[in-house]
Amino acid sequence: MDGRHVLLLGVAAATCAAPIVLGSYQLYLAQLMMINAIAAIGLNLLTGNCGQISLCHSSFMAIGAYASALVVVRAGLSFALALAIGTALAALLGACLGYPARRLSGLYLALVTLGFLELVQVAIEEFPELTGGVRGLSVPKPQIIGMALRSDLARYYLVLALAALALYLGSNLQRSRFGRAFNAVRQSAFAAQAVGIPLARTKLLAFTVAAGFAGLAGALQGAAVGFIDPTEFNISASLRLITFIVVGGLGSVTGSILGAVLLTGLPEFLRGTQEYGDLVYGAILLAGLLFMPRGIKGLIDDLRGFLPATKPVRS
Amino acid sequence: MTWQIAFQLALAGLSVGSIYALVALALVIPFKASGVLNFAQGEMVTLGAYIGLVLSTALALPFAAVVLFTVLIAAAFGVLIERLFIRPIVAAPEFTLVIATFAIGLIIKAAIRLHWQDNTFPFDAPYAGPALAIGPLRLNPSYIVIIGCLAALAAALMVFFRATKLGKAMRAVAIDAAAARLVGIRVESVFMSAWALAAAIGALAGLLLAPIIGINPEIGQLILKALVAAVLGGFTSLGGAVAGGLVLGLIETFGGALFGATFKNIVPFGILILLLLVRPQGLFGATLQHRA
Repeated sequence: MDGRHVLLLGVAAATCAAPIVLGSYQLYLAQLMMINAIAAIGLNLLTGNCGQISLCHSSFMAIGAYASALVVVRAGLSFALALAIGTALAALLGACLGYPARRLSGLYLALVTLGFLELVQVAIEEFPELTGGVRGLSVPKPQIIGMALRSDLARYYLVLALAALALYLGSNLQRSRFGRAFNAVRQSAFAAQAVGIPLARTKLLAFTVAAGFAGLAGALQGAAVGFIDPTEFNISASLRLITFIVVGGLGSVTGSILGAVLLTGLPEFLRGTQEYGDLVYGAILLAGLLFMPRGIKGLIDDLRGFLPATKPVRS
Repeated sequence: MTWQIAFQLALAGLSVGSIYALVALALVIPFKASGVLNFAQGEMVTLGAYIGLVLSTALALPFAAVVLFTVLIAAAFGVLIERLFIRPIVAAPEFTLVIATFAIGLIIKAAIRLHWQDNTFPFDAPYAGPALAIGPLRLNPSYIVIIGCLAALAAALMVFFRATKLGKAMRAVAIDAAAARLVGIRVESVFMSAWALAAAIGALAGLLLAPIIGINPEIGQLILKALVAAVLGGFTSLGGAVAGGLVLGLIETFGGALFGATFKNIVPFGILILLLLVRPQGLFGATLQHRA
């Protein structure tokens, strides 16, 4: 058992025990942090590892949120099933976007994903009888095996369990054959192809997985907030998700979580208006890109380099 | 559809298309020079409108002076952004550039909303007034001025890129920055001029748009339409950007009249995605720009 595992166990124990000291609002905030962390882990696999720009990650959150809410409200399905459907539909649409977009990169990919974001936004607004349009959509409190998760406490543990699952899947995927293929594609598409990595299929996988994580996060967000606001999924929202991974550290699951948790909590400490929040997010994003391109995770790694090594470094 | 209605729609379509064309030009000019696509350009249009608002209300300048100073201040602002934020990362990966320009836009918009909130301010131009009646046709003077401005600017740009030293230097840098440097062109000052020019054109678009829709923080949204126009035009061609803007304006106006608002709202982004996937060189672009 090395330092990593001790740290992980500590975090697990702290998050499980946290509700003892946290108030209702703080529990709600903690849910939002973990939901954003799930979305950020997905985006980081696509952008940080596989090197593909996505400006429509928040659209996949929207798809997950609306799909899971609508199958509960309209079709009366159970919440657990709705979560699965929201995640699967987002992943499917991610694959639908990723299939044609797998041949694009850089600027063209940015433009296609921007177009997709706007299409989803317009679709939400143009079909109000289904989505509630600009007025938004109320989401009933989630029920699991007949029990309504009415309290923030119950929802907190639900989100915690799924965030832990996302962490487990994300970090395992990153270390798997596919995760290494993602990194290879980012570093050099030609070299990756030369060693036999199927370029198109790898990118398609990254798009699908990222969209699935976003769909899960969106479905949870709808349930945690109890309301879906379509303006929560616009370009600012996508940029906020990108800020999480840039500030936390591109290509790192730990970085995704750090960025999401710190920056979701930030506006609460600033106690500003929404506009003020955007200003701060923009400034942090720009400063991160200019001065700290490897994010907080990079900073931690650098600091660790200064510490005396207590035992041989293992990779 | 009678021919009078068709004419009316065409005029409206060309005027909104001219605005798209202006912003598309403001996107393409620095992109050609420095390879950076400025996603903050929409917010720079908004900023131009607000600079005009301050000059005309707080300082009560005459309209011609408002236009002149707005364009000059915006150009200075373009230079500032290029020097402070873009030049340090101009060689960075595309992801950094895309997100950095988005972040600049986010900051500008947030600062504007912090100061002016979400109110819509009216903006009067001396030429705005009742429609001129010529036979059965009604000509909205604002539309005529917008179309006229685009025509004049396009002509001026044509002369600028053909006949002036700076214009030729910009074309040289667009073709090959390293080679341009070898023959003694200051590539950095060309970048800076391109950003100044683009910011000035964007501010002009903001001033032209303001009398029609008023001034509010959401003006910058029109960058999306300008991107569609630029993609339609092949992204690296100035003539293409103008044509793309006008075509998009006409498609939107006629499509909206014939098939309703949903069509009007969905079609630009449908075009964007389809074009990028099927024909990334645009309708007018000759060669595919390969950008790794």
